[in-house]
Amino acid sequence: MPERDAQLAQLVDLGARRGADYADARHVEREYEAVSVRDGEVESVTRSGDRGIGFRVIHRGAWGFAATDRTDEMSLRGVVDEAFARAEAAASTRAAPVSLATVAPQRGEYRTTLERDPFAVPLAERIALLRAADANLKGPHAVSRRGSVAAYRTRKRLVTSEGTDVRQEIVESGAGVSLTAVKAGAKPAQRYDGRLTRQAGWEFIEHLDLARRAARYRDDAEAMLDAPLAAERPTTLVFTPEFLALLVHESCGHPTEADRVLEYEIAFAGTTFMWPNDRGALRYGSEHVSMTADATVPGGMGTFGWDDDGVPALRTKLIDRGTFVGYLTSRETAAALGMPVAIGSARAEGWQHFPIVRMVNVSLDPGTQSYDTLLKGVDDGLLLEAPASYSLDDKRQNFHFSTQSARVIRNGALEGYARGVSFQSLTPAFWGRCDGVADDWELHGFLSCAKGEPLQLMRVGHGAAHARFRDVPIEVRA
Amino acid sequence: MTVRGSDAMLAPLVTALRDVKADEAELWVHRRRSAISRYARNEIHQNAVADETHVQARVVLGKAMGIASANSLDPADLRRLVADATAAARESAPNAHWPGLAAPAETAEPKAFDAETARADAASQAQAIQRVTAAAKARGFRAAGTHQIELTEDALANTNGAALYAPSTMAYLRALVTSDTGTGWAEDLGSNTRALVPSDIAARAIEKAALDRDRTQLAPGDYEAVFEELAVAEVLRFMSLTGLTGQTLKDGRSFMAGRFGEQVTGPRFSLWDDALDARTLAIPFDVEGTPKQRIPLVVAGVAKGVVHDRQSAQWFATRSTGHAADPRRYSVGGHAGNLTMSGGDAKREQLIRAVTRGVLITRFHYTNTPDPKRATMTGTTRDGTFLIEDGRITRALANVRYTMSALDLFSGIELLGPQRLARDWWSSNGMGSIVCLCPPIKVARATITGSSPA
Repeated sequence: MPERDAQLAQLVDLGARRGADYADARHVEREYEAVSVRDGEVESVTRSGDRGIGFRVIHRGAWGFAATDRTDEMSLRGVVDEAFARAEAAASTRAAPVSLATVAPQRGEYRTTLERDPFAVPLAERIALLRAADANLKGPHAVSRRGSVAAYRTRKRLVTSEGTDVRQEIVESGAGVSLTAVKAGAKPAQRYDGRLTRQAGWEFIEHLDLARRAARYRDDAEAMLDAPLAAERPTTLVFTPEFLALLVHESCGHPTEADRVLEYEIAFAGTTFMWPNDRGALRYGSEHVSMTADATVPGGMGTFGWDDDGVPALRTKLIDRGTFVGYLTSRETAAALGMPVAIGSARAEGWQHFPIVRMVNVSLDPGTQSYDTLLKGVDDGLLLEAPASYSLDDKRQNFHFSTQSARVIRNGALEGYARGVSFQSLTPAFWGRCDGVADDWELHGFLSCAKGEPLQLMRVGHGAAHARFRDVPIEVRA
Repeated sequence: MTVRGSDAMLAPLVTALRDVKADEAELWVHRRRSAISRYARNEIHQNAVADETHVQARVVLGKAMGIASANSLDPADLRRLVADATAAARESAPNAHWPGLAAPAETAEPKAFDAETARADAASQAQAIQRVTAAAKARGFRAAGTHQIELTEDALANTNGAALYAPSTMAYLRALVTSDTGTGWAEDLGSNTRALVPSDIAARAIEKAALDRDRTQLAPGDYEAVFEELAVAEVLRFMSLTGLTGQTLKDGRSFMAGRFGEQVTGPRFSLWDDALDARTLAIPFDVEGTPKQRIPLVVAGVAKGVVHDRQSAQWFATRSTGHAADPRRYSVGGHAGNLTMSGGDAKREQLIRAVTRGVLITRFHYTNTPDPKRATMTGTTRDGTFLIEDGRITRALANVRYTMSALDLFSGIELLGPQRLARDWWSSNGMGSIVCLCPPIKVARATITGSSPA
């Protein structure tokens, strides 16, 4: 690493000497290892890695960025030339210069706390775990079964012209099981979870108890094949933390991204319905609904020491007892909106990507009642267990979700299944129907939140507890 | 941008495979040099270029396979990569249905490469954007979007003697023009920068933005509709993912399952996968080194076939059609990524004139499928949704939510316009790899299930 360490500082020095107002160089090295089992057979054992350097400047008031996976001197000089050329081309279109909110120079190191390195777990142990889960996925109508475990390691170092020099090593573990059940005359049923990830070691995979989860998925899928259609009427819905994690992600995380306010994402991800003038005034949900962005949550997929602007991990409120109060920001977007840095959310997927505003861990705050108490408050309703299809408009206002599995709630207890359930709502109307959040908060992790051009898939975390929503109009399709 | 060329891309792979101690081995490299200028509010706010090399090794011992990938073509790194894949294969269990690696085969010449486009620089991208923003500013509007130039080089070699190389280029410019009251969208896509006409893109987007005022909400229900090319591409995406591959057929999830030879949609609908069409964006072989074939999928509404990679061909005792996809994006079992839908000669005005009361849809946002077996898509429209009455656009609509089976939508095709290169929202934003040659259509019925606020 010494040679590479020197390269980053040299790049930044070179940028400064060529007149950049700001320069940073980021080296990222990523490793990934995955094992998947399909229908009882090892489908693949995959090992991958990449490494490279991204170089960013503000020159003549505009950003320029170039990245390469080659680290010879000629390639690195080429990267500097290209970053300046792109900044100059961008500058020719700009009326006002880019400015960055002030952050003190940072120095230090961050490493994931883990009990057992997932890369060190023998392959045979991983395959045995997946085969045990696969055995439990087998059911009378299962036509396709799949399980996988994966380990991720990211090492990165950021050096900036302002004096920041930080190193991070982040390790993540993930797993998933899925099945498709098909029966003549019935709609195929799928049960899966792609969001079982944590910034942690192999201990997290063991904690998941994949074999037990697989059996539950099998039972759910088989039951959904024969389940009666739900009744199409306003219904009390209880959501699992897993389902709400995605709802929080899509309907709160995204619309509070500050780059959407500035229309940076208007041509791809869209904008928002939560504008600066709405802060402190917009009724986003009921008094039971508070949401927090927190880059310090232990184990969160959005947890780090510093973001890719060099802002240390922070925590800020986005929704406070139903009222919209805060944004996710980068240094650039905070400055553009005239806000101090309350959270650092500038993140890049890899060395080849320009850092943009991303979620960190954005979570629904827990309530104080137990899940049992919450459930007992439902005479006639549905528990939606896991999202299936989901679709949102470009402002994150209108959304449509369907579910993999819906359980019937009768007189405060679960009994049987219902199929065909989906719901469509406007975001504030939906969260406004929340009349209770339980205290069983748990953390979920997403591997691939998509945003940016070229596309960046970002790890983000979301915590949630069971929550109850009254009189939600549901749609039912055979 | 610098093209590395066949020698630089392929020779290291062939060399690295010489001493491999395995039953079979394959190296595939995909280099992508992507230059993207993103603009908003008439200014470029991100301007990035990245040069990435992805190398994947597949090593087979018996019928057990290991896969490893890295991003370097240096000989020592390739040796390490093959060793990693070999170690992974050693620890893997055999796949009883392993089809073996591809044999050497002749492939067509690459058609989607343009040397001049590969040389385009940041200044030329900024100039194209300025032509769009100047036109928007002249109307008091603001423009946002993306200008992307991409050079890719693919090379593949295996121990059966396959050795293939193909370069390609892609040029893309899109504009979202925003007025005080609404938005309008236009884009051009092609294998070269000459396919991009900034002034035309600006004019089309401005026309829609100017029309997008005094929005009203449309009540849920069935309406006649005009789907422009991007909207059609969105629907085709879900047919591809849910029904046109060997994997979906094997799982019984495909709308084709058990229905080959039957009428599955209307007689005016025909669809092929055709990566060999010179108008599309493709290279002539897949990531397993199999030459791509033109595959009839649905002809005159009748289910004809699906695409296969080598694994799904093995499941169905047939031959690969050359549709193995990048495993970073799609799972094993084939991928129909170059769709060609039959078109017609109706002009846009004719499509609109044929509507008594209905909706014009420019494009969709964040679509999904609540019922894969029926290729049902749901999604909200954006950047140009209009009410058509008595053959004329009469007013702007708030974005609507559309939910309907593709088979039902295409059953109602009444008129088709000329084909154009278009991608769905996911693919145009890097979240998929489906390119369509598809027409705008006028349909008898499209189901609207909701609306965003006006």
